[in-house]
Amino acid sequence: MTFAYVFQWEIVSESAGALAHGLRLTLELSALAFALSLVLGLAVAVARLAPFRPLNVLAYVYTQVFRALSLYIYVLFIYFGIAAIFGINFGPFAAGVVALTLLNTAYMAEIYRAALLSIEPGQREAALALGLPHSRSFASVIFPQAFRTALPSLVNQLVDIVKDSSVVAVIGLLDLMGTTIDLVNNRHAPFELYTATAVTYVALILVLSALAALLERRLARHVSGGSAGGRVARLPRRRFADHPGGA
Amino acid sequence: MPELSAEPEALAGIAGGWIVVAEGIHKTFNRGHADREVRVLRGVDVSVAKGDVLVVIGPSGSGKSTLLRCINFLGPPDEGSVTFLGRTLTGAVPRFRPAERMRYERELRFFRTHIGIVFQHFNLFPHMTAADNVALGPTRALGLSRSQARERSVAELERVGMGEKANAYPSQLSGGQKQRVAIARALAMRPQLMLFDEATSALDPELIGGILEEMKRLAESGMTMIVVTHEMGFAREVGDRVVFMDEGRVVEEGPARSLIDNPQNERTQAFLSAILS
Repeated sequence: MTFAYVFQWEIVSESAGALAHGLRLTLELSALAFALSLVLGLAVAVARLAPFRPLNVLAYVYTQVFRALSLYIYVLFIYFGIAAIFGINFGPFAAGVVALTLLNTAYMAEIYRAALLSIEPGQREAALALGLPHSRSFASVIFPQAFRTALPSLVNQLVDIVKDSSVVAVIGLLDLMGTTIDLVNNRHAPFELYTATAVTYVALILVLSALAALLERRLARHVSGGSAGGRVARLPRRRFADHPGGA
Repeated sequence: MPELSAEPEALAGIAGGWIVVAEGIHKTFNRGHADREVRVLRGVDVSVAKGDVLVVIGPSGSGKSTLLRCINFLGPPDEGSVTFLGRTLTGAVPRFRPAERMRYERELRFFRTHIGIVFQHFNLFPHMTAADNVALGPTRALGLSRSQARERSVAELERVGMGEKANAYPSQLSGGQKQRVAIARALAMRPQLMLFDEATSALDPELIGGILEEMKRLAESGMTMIVVTHEMGFAREVGDRVVFMDEGRVVEEGPARSLIDNPQNERTQAFLSAILS
């Protein structure tokens, strides 16, 4: 098979430094958003299940509203919209972290909620019957079990964060995707550069997925019923449909 | 053991002898949903003297388990009160008065730390070893140090013949072993009253005897117990008094042997002849 196109793979190796820098930014952005939404998601889930109606409603509205829009809109809204109205100037990195965190907090809250609800009521009752206050029964008995149940889904969410983080290229952040777009515009080797970037993303995701599978196997051992994996309420995975191919 | 009537009026004078007195207990599930309301308990009075074993029998749905859950307030009664070691608590939680709420929570904690319960389905914590299951209450509710709690935990496990399984997880234990750990977990709190909620109903037949033996030993050591069970042999042999419940009420109450051998109420007769045939 012959192509009219002349491959210039050397451009990829020449750009390795810039791409590596972009990859680092992607990893930092994803890790930060993951860590933040891991904590905030739990807070929202607890609010959603707390025995206090106004808090439930607030948490419900948050999860519904924030899952309703795509990340693309959040990034633009936070970077341009908020800046215009309130004069708060987020840098593109901060705007990316905030957008990814707001969205994934909503998803993680749902994962935590499903996991918390999957713990048999008898567990809480046994803890309370020992005289543990509600807070301690949550910390010692409910949460450790729910976290084990939720962890594989939470790590899958990290996979989504890594993929979705490429959207920040739209506000000029030079993450892996942003760097690639930049390079394509200057070096005119779109096939080679996009291929290199795609391969990098795939490798990254495969490593994370393997990690998730490993965790799932390890943690399934001592969870109620002994079949933790099967008990996880798998939420329909969202798709980021309208990914901006370039900006 | 004192021969005591459960008439509330008669209780006042001899309050000293009672470990627990539950009076006028009412409990309705799905309260406020007219079509789904279930009146599980309709004015139940029970009381247990120190060192006595009260056995509660009755058809399923008669409110036996609900009664136990009213006594340790896992499912607080809608009406009525429970007096335990001279302290009286009702199901009315002072929700919006912080000082009273704190006092209420303290009383609640007193009840629960001094009343042990063993559940039908064990309810062991699956993410902890047997020893950690037993040590959780002593560390988190009684404030023992980790080493003190560990020591107590191992001692309690040994007492129920589970010393060798201290480091096993519940998923690695049989039903009978799980229930032994659950008994050890309750006893590690040094309770004044033990509740058994159909503790042998979920066990394979060959494992039931061992658990009943454990309960009998506990009764012989002087533990005050309320036992919900379908094991009539146990009720007759180990029970001091038996309460027969049906449709949320105490239908008949009396000394264990005479009630089981010679029931007076016809519903008791029908239940016993069905279960013993």
